[in-house]
Amino acid sequence: MMSPAPDTWRVPPPWVLLVAVVLIAVAEVSGASMVKFKLELTRWARGVMLARPAVHGLVGVRDVDEQIIDEALVKLDGGLRLFHLHAEGMGTVIVVATMVATTLVRSTGLQRTVVLLLTVGGGAYPVGYLVWSAAIPYVGIERGKSIAEWLVWIPFGSAAIVAMWLLTGALALKLVQRQ
Amino acid sequence: MRRPPITVVFLAVLMLALGETAGAVMSQLRPAIERYARARILANAPAHGLSGSAEYDDEVISRAVFTAEAGLSFLHTHAQALPVVTLLASTLVATVVPWRRTRGALHLLLGAGTLFPLGYLVYGLAVLEAGRDAGVALAEGLVLTPLGSAMILGLLGLAAVLLRRRTPAA
Repeated sequence: MMSPAPDTWRVPPPWVLLVAVVLIAVAEVSGASMVKFKLELTRWARGVMLARPAVHGLVGVRDVDEQIIDEALVKLDGGLRLFHLHAEGMGTVIVVATMVATTLVRSTGLQRTVVLLLTVGGGAYPVGYLVWSAAIPYVGIERGKSIAEWLVWIPFGSAAIVAMWLLTGALALKLVQRQ
Repeated sequence: MRRPPITVVFLAVLMLALGETAGAVMSQLRPAIERYARARILANAPAHGLSGSAEYDDEVISRAVFTAEAGLSFLHTHAQALPVVTLLASTLVATVVPWRRTRGALHLLLGAGTLFPLGYLVYGLAVLEAGRDAGVALAEGLVLTPLGSAMILGLLGLAAVLLRRRTPAA
């Protein structure tokens, strides 16, 4: 098999590209679904919240309760929007950053670590926004955020950040060695 | 596709790393950032035009804190997107521009333009130190406008080369 010229890009492993493309596709679908099913989503969330008045601090007074429910619905919608944005963004970042790692990081161990952390971390991180949105009607805004933070954002977000700094460090070292 | 010089790739990856970190900092350290921002505004009271009247000052402080936090938020969003544009555009430059000097100039412009999101960090900090309007003007004049212009010129230069390659010689 011919190896590519030294100054051309190398393609990341197929599973990495698959994760990135699926993430971008899901982001596109979520953007469309947010618009298409807005009414159904709102009805569902409102129903779940009304069935759990204690969780949301609903007091049975329409004026007060409507304000609380509206705030939760805004946050739920915000979570879906942030999922859409982050999934599109991270999908692209995964493709680009793993391509850089595959091409320019010479140590196989470091290259695999960066690619794995970036793909798993970057691929799962946006799902935290879906978890948050889905949790809001059941457990409330703050408890939902805490669940998403500890289950998804902190572990997977940290993995992606560590990977990106490892890659930055590897490139900095390469630049210094070239000097 | 040919890859651009490592320096350009390094700058793009550095900005991506900064962008991701800024996002995490924004979400995990929001109360600490707000405390720091309020403290800096109070330390630079004349620059912010604080009058000593609690009602007026609260409004001014809140607006300045909001602007500083917006700077961090813009750093996050721009640093996650612009480096991707840089890598794509500089890859095209490396692949389709046949002249070495033109290629070097375009890579220089795109590399400098990649640092554009740092202007929003300057924006956030300058607002706290120099006051809202003066800080924004400082960040725009010193960082955002020159680096943004570099990116635009780099992209226009690439477009011009692509156009020239498409146009058959007369």
